[in-house]
Amino acid sequence: MQKVLVWDLPVRLGHWLMAGGFALAWVTGDSESWRLVHVFAGGTVAAVALFRLLWGVVGTKHARFASFVRGPRQAFAYLKSLLRFSPPHYTGHNPAGGWAVVLLLLLALASGASGWATYQELDGEWLEELHEFATGLMLAVVAVHLAGVLVGSLLHGENLPRAMLTGRKLGEPGEAIAGPRRLGALLLLGWAAAGAWWLAR
Amino acid sequence: MKRVWLSCFFASGIAMAASPPELAAGYAAEAARQSPGFQPSARRGAEFYARRFAVSEKMPACAACHTDSPLQAGRHAVTGKAIRPLAPRAETARFTDPAKVEKWFRRNCSEVLGRACSAAEKADFILFATEAK
Repeated sequence: MQKVLVWDLPVRLGHWLMAGGFALAWVTGDSESWRLVHVFAGGTVAAVALFRLLWGVVGTKHARFASFVRGPRQAFAYLKSLLRFSPPHYTGHNPAGGWAVVLLLLLALASGASGWATYQELDGEWLEELHEFATGLMLAVVAVHLAGVLVGSLLHGENLPRAMLTGRKLGEPGEAIAGPRRLGALLLLGWAAAGAWWLAR
Repeated sequence: MKRVWLSCFFASGIAMAASPPELAAGYAAEAARQSPGFQPSARRGAEFYARRFAVSEKMPACAACHTDSPLQAGRHAVTGKAIRPLAPRAETARFTDPAKVEKWFRRNCSEVLGRACSAAEKADFILFATEAK
């Protein structure tokens, strides 16, 4: 195996926009003074999540849901292999990581929708509570995700956070994607900016 | 930070309701453990409600957003959000959901006072809002 391009630019950019946006939204969530920043940050997360749904269909090989969404049995089998310290290597997402991706996207959308409704002062306290519940759950999934990245990095001797920056990961040459898809990344940036602005206006 | 998010969500579903005097009594009991002989006071609560902490320029006091009277509807000084009256006499749902009460004390005390409110301050505050007429 050698280092090959696995994550296209929209995947990487989307990942870090979501991570940064979520962190910023979390720390500003308890404050009225920072509310506009909170809404921008959360709006970015939701916009990226929406884009990712589309990109999961039209993106490069390892970005497509069809390539990494597996049944719960395979996800559990992978988790068990982690406990034996001998996980099989996946060039793209492993089956457990795939579940984290899908869960985080769904929670980001639920959180964004309920946050937007609260921001519009649509009545219903349940919206505010759903917002807090979804973001709390999201933080829990983020914690599991980080633990998985750490364990996976150690067991495979592969710096996974760096792979999410450079896009390059251990794999067979035939598994590489053709290019970084810069145009897609540009579209994502425009979409995220427009989405955040629309949500916060 | 959001330690209570789970309990918030479920508590609201199961409707863990309490009355405002019960809530005030709970905080008063906590305050009495910290300083024996503590008795909640609506007068002290009124003074607290009007006091200018001036930690935040736009939210110097409770009254900055909740108006001079807890019986009136307010408007948030920063965000412009409509705020229903604090007094249970004007808004019956006030001070009946412990998780919600804690959440808003946590948020508002840290921004208006620059610190957490003490159990004594919470007890006085609820008593003041409850007795307001």
